[in-house]
Amino acid sequence: MWETIAAPPFLLLVSLAMPLWGALVILLTCRNDAASARLLALFFAVATLVAATGVVVQFPTDQPAAQANYAAAALPWLGEATGLDIRFDVAVDGLSLWLYGLSALLVLTAVLISWTTVREREAGYYGLLLLLAGGMLGVFMARDVILFYIFFEFTLIPLFVLIGIWGSDRRRYAAVKFFLFTLAGSLLTFLGLLLLVLQYDTFSIPELTARAMASPLDPAWQTAIFLLLFAGFAIKVPLFPLHTWLPLAHVEAPAAGSVLLAGVLLKIGTYGFLRFSVPLLPEATATLLPWLLWLSVAGIVYGALVALAQSDLKRLIAYSSVSHLGFCMLGLFALNRLGIQGGVLQSINHGISTGGLFAIVGMIYRRYHTREISELGGLARRTPWLAAFMVFFTLSSIGLPGTNGFAGEFLLLCGMFQRASATTAAAYSTQFYAIAVLAVSGVVLGAWYMLWLVQRVFFGPLREPTHDDQPIRDMGWSEFFSLAPLAVFVLWIGLFPGQFLKPMSATLDRLTGRATAAWEQQAEAAARTDAAELADRGQNSPQRAESPPR
Amino acid sequence: MVSPSTVSLLLPEILVIATAIGIFMAGVFVGDRRGWSWIALLGLLLAGGHLLFGDLPSHERPGEALYGPVGSDELGYWLRLGSLALGIFFTLMLTSSRAEGASAEALGALLLVVAGLMLVSVAKELVMLFVALELISIPTYLLLYLGRGGLAGHESTSKYFYLSVLASAVLLYGFSFLYGLTGSMRFDEIARSFATSDVSGPLPALAVLLVVAGLAFKIAAVPFHFYAPDVYEGTSNLNAGLLAVVPKIAGIVALVRLVAMVLPAELASLGWQLCLGLSVLTMTLGNVVALWQNNLRRLLAYSSIAHAGYMLIGLCVYLSLRAAGAEAVPDGLAALLLYLAVYSLASVGTFATLIYLGGVEDEGPRRPSPERVEDLAGLGRSYPVAAVALSVFMFSLAGIPPLVGFWGKLGLFYSALSVEVSSDQALLGMPLRSALIALTVIAAVNAAIAAAYYLRVVATLYFRSATVSATLPADASLAGRGGAGFVMGATMLLVVVLGCLPGTLVQRSRAVSPRAVDSVSSAASPEAAQNSAPRPVVVRR
Repeated sequence: MWETIAAPPFLLLVSLAMPLWGALVILLTCRNDAASARLLALFFAVATLVAATGVVVQFPTDQPAAQANYAAAALPWLGEATGLDIRFDVAVDGLSLWLYGLSALLVLTAVLISWTTVREREAGYYGLLLLLAGGMLGVFMARDVILFYIFFEFTLIPLFVLIGIWGSDRRRYAAVKFFLFTLAGSLLTFLGLLLLVLQYDTFSIPELTARAMASPLDPAWQTAIFLLLFAGFAIKVPLFPLHTWLPLAHVEAPAAGSVLLAGVLLKIGTYGFLRFSVPLLPEATATLLPWLLWLSVAGIVYGALVALAQSDLKRLIAYSSVSHLGFCMLGLFALNRLGIQGGVLQSINHGISTGGLFAIVGMIYRRYHTREISELGGLARRTPWLAAFMVFFTLSSIGLPGTNGFAGEFLLLCGMFQRASATTAAAYSTQFYAIAVLAVSGVVLGAWYMLWLVQRVFFGPLREPTHDDQPIRDMGWSEFFSLAPLAVFVLWIGLFPGQFLKPMSATLDRLTGRATAAWEQQAEAAARTDAAELADRGQNSPQRAESPPR
Repeated sequence: MVSPSTVSLLLPEILVIATAIGIFMAGVFVGDRRGWSWIALLGLLLAGGHLLFGDLPSHERPGEALYGPVGSDELGYWLRLGSLALGIFFTLMLTSSRAEGASAEALGALLLVVAGLMLVSVAKELVMLFVALELISIPTYLLLYLGRGGLAGHESTSKYFYLSVLASAVLLYGFSFLYGLTGSMRFDEIARSFATSDVSGPLPALAVLLVVAGLAFKIAAVPFHFYAPDVYEGTSNLNAGLLAVVPKIAGIVALVRLVAMVLPAELASLGWQLCLGLSVLTMTLGNVVALWQNNLRRLLAYSSIAHAGYMLIGLCVYLSLRAAGAEAVPDGLAALLLYLAVYSLASVGTFATLIYLGGVEDEGPRRPSPERVEDLAGLGRSYPVAAVALSVFMFSLAGIPPLVGFWGKLGLFYSALSVEVSSDQALLGMPLRSALIALTVIAAVNAAIAAAYYLRVVATLYFRSATVSATLPADASLAGRGGAGFVMGATMLLVVVLGCLPGTLVQRSRAVSPRAVDSVSSAASPEAAQNSAPRPVVVRR
C-alpha cells in the first residue's frame, strides 16, 4: 500500500492532478465563500508540494541510468489508431527536477501571499491560481511534444485572467499584451516543434532526442527550425529585445501573479531552449552561438541600466529579471559544463530570490498602496522583519557569497570565461572576452541598483505616504511562512550547491554534448583558417623583410 | 433511376421534409410556436433514430454504395448525423429567439435547410448536388426575411438573395462545363472520364474555376466574401449562426466531393495553387479586418471568413499531393473535416450564447440584446455561466489548448508540414514543400492576429464593468431561454471534453475521409478496387 502511494510515478500524477482538481472544486463550490476558497487553495497547494517533494527526494542522483525513466507515467490518450500518436506521458529528469520542485514550492508562496491581499472574487482567484499551477507543473513533466505545448499554452489563459481582473490600473492592456506576445511567439514555436516531429517521426521527447542525436538534420534545416523555436522561447525568457511585454505584465499583475511569472513561467523559455533547441539542433546552436551570447549580454546590461533608472519598485525588479535571465541564457550558451549548470542553477535561484522580492513588494504595496520609491523611506523601523527579508533576498539577488545567487552567477561566469579562453580563433575569442567582461559589469550594476533600492526604501529617515485607515504592522504569519521556505533555500543552495548540481549533471551533459562538440568543431575550423592566414602572411613576410629596416 | 432502395436510403431526409411540410401547412392554423418546436424536434429525432438504428442500405456493403443520384458512405453517414444534430441545436435556439423571427414558418424553413444539408452529404451527382444546395439557400432567404425587420434586415436579405442567386448561376455554369466535357452527371463517371481523356486546354480549368467560385461564395472565401459582414450584421443572431455554419459545411463538403475527388492530377496542380492563394488572402483579410470590428456579428462574420481560409489549407494539402502524384493520402481532407467539425461546434455555441443573452421578447420590457462588443462589458459578473461559455468558444476559435479548436489547427498544420513528396510542383518559383511551409507560417501568424480580437471579447466580458447604456438585466432565470441555454451548455461541454479527449474525434475524421476518396477513385480504376482489401465493418450498436 505504502509502496504504491510513495511510488514516484503516482506522486508525479498526484502533483499534477491536485492543483487541477483543486481548481475545479474551488470554482464550482466556493462561489460566495471566500474563507473556504482560501483554505481549500492552501490545502491543495500543500498537497501538491508534499507530492512533489516525494518525487524530488526519491530522485536517483547516483544512478544516471535510472534517471531517464524516473517517475515515468503514461495515461491513455489519442493512441496510434488516430494517426497522431500523441501520448499523455509524464516524467521528470535532471533538467526538469528542480524547476518542477520550484514550481510546486512557489504555488504555496503564491497562495500565502494572496491570503490577506486578495479581497474580491476569491473563488475565481484561487481557482485560476491553481489552474496556472497545474499548467506550469505539467510543462516540466511532459514527455510528449504536443503535451508540452498544450501545457505551455494553457498557462496563458489563467494568468491572462489573473492579470486582467486582479491587476492594477493598466491591467487590461498588460493582460492582452502579455497574451498576444507570448501566443504569437509560441505559435511559431509550435510549427518548429511540428517540423521536428515530422522529421523524426515521433511525438515522444526522449525518443526525439535519441533520434536527433543519432542522425542530426541538415544544417540549413536546423537553422530554420531553430529560428522558429527561438520565436516562442526567446519571448518567454524574455531575451532582449523581445522583453517589452515583461515589465508591463509584472507591474500590473497581482503579487502572486508576478511571483509565478518571474519564478516559473519565464523559466519555461530557458527550459525550452535546453529541452529542444540545444539537443535537437546542435549545429544551428553552434552557428548562432555568438548572436545568442550577444543578445544575452545585451539583456544583462540593458536590463540593469534601465533598472537603475526606475522609480517604481515593481518595475525595477521586473527589469532586474530581464538582466538576470540574460545571465541564465549566457550560462546556457557558454556551452560547457560550468556554464550550463550555472545557467540552470541560476534560473532556479532567480525563481527563489526574485519570487521573494516580488512577494515583498506586494507586501509593501498592501501596506502603503504605492510602489513609488520616492514616497517610501526608512521602512526598516516600521517593519523590521520585512526589511530583514528584503535585505536577505537582495543579497541573494546580487550574488553575495554564501547565498544561492553567488553559486549560480559564479559558475556561469566561470563557464563564460572558460569558453572564451578555450576558443582560440581570434575573431571569436575577442568577442567572447568582451561578452564575459560586460556580463561581469552587469553583476556590478546589479549590486548598485539593488542596494540603492534597499537603502532608499528601508533606511534613512522614515518617509511614508499618508495612511489613515489602519496602523502599519510588521509581517503576519501568512507573509512570514510564504517567505521562510524561500529563505531556507537561498542558504541551502548557497552553502551546498553540489547537492543541487549533482542530480542534473548527467542529464545536462547528455543533452548538450552534441552542441558543445559542434561548436568546438566550428571554432577549430575558424582557428585553422586563422592559422592558414597567418601562414600565408608568413610566406609573404620574407619579401617584406627584404625592405631595408628603418 | 429511383428505386425502392433509394427511397429507403433517403428515409431520414424524407421524414424531415415531411415534418417541415406538415408544419408549413398546419402552422397557418395553429400558431403555437412551442408546440411546433416539439414536433420539429420529434421529426429530427425520428430521422436521427432511423439513421442510427434503422436498417438502412449502407456503406458497409461497398458494392451497393451507389443508389442512382445518391449514395451512402462513411462521410455521408456522419455528416447526416451531424446535420440532424445541428438541426436540433438550431431548433432549440429558435425557441429562445425573439418572437418576430420564430414563427412556425421559420421552423419549417429550418427543417428544410437541414434536409438540404443532409442531401448535400449524400449527393453523388451534379444535379442532385445543385438541388440540395438550393434546398439550403431558398429556405435561408425565407429565414432571413422572417428574421429581423427594419431597413437593415431587408438590406441583408436582399443582398444575400441576389448574391446567392448569382453564385448559384456561376456554380451551375461550371457544372454545365463538367457535363459538356465528360458527358456525365455522376461524380464517378466524370472522374473516370477525366482520368482517361486529355484535360489540357482552357475548358477544364475554366470549369474548375467556376465551380470553385460558386462554392467559395458558400464558404465565404475571398473574393466572394463581401456579403457576409453586412448580412450577419443586419440579421438576427440565429440566422447569422445558421449562415456561419450551414453553407460553410455544405460548401466544404461539395468541394471535398467535387474538386478533391473528381479532379484529375493535371487539374489538381491548378487546384492547389488556387486554394493556396485563396487561403492566404481569405484568412489574412478576414483576421485583419476583424480587428477593427465593433459589431459582434460583424466581427464573427470576419472570423468566419478567416476560418474558411484555414479550411482551404486542408484542401490545398490534399490537392498538392494529388498533383504530385502521391497515392491518395487523406491527411489534408481529414484535417479539413476535423477543422470543419470543430469550427461548427464553437460557432453554434457562440451564437447560442448571444441568443441566450438576448433573451425573449415576452419577458416584459424589451431587453437589449448585445450588439456591440462593449455591450458584453461586465457580463462576467452578471451572467457567469454565459460568460464562461462565450470565453470557451472564443478561445476554442482562437485555437488555444486544451480546447477542441486546438486540435483542428494542429491537424491542419501537421498535414501541411507533412507533405514531403519530391515533385516539380511549384508556385511562383517556390517548390511545393516551401510553399506549404510558408502557408503554415502565414496561418500561424494569422492565428496570432485572430487571437487579438477573440481576446478583446473575453477581455470585455471580464475586465470591464458594465456601462449604463449597455446593461443587460442581471437575472439568471432560464425562463424562455432554456433552448439556447441548453445548446450553449451542451456545446461548451463538448468543446471542453473533446478538447481534453480528442481521440475519437480525430480518429473519426480519419476514418471518414479516405472512404470518401476511395468510393470514387476505386471506381475510376477497377484494378485498384480489386487490390484494396475489404474494409472492416463498422459496428455501431
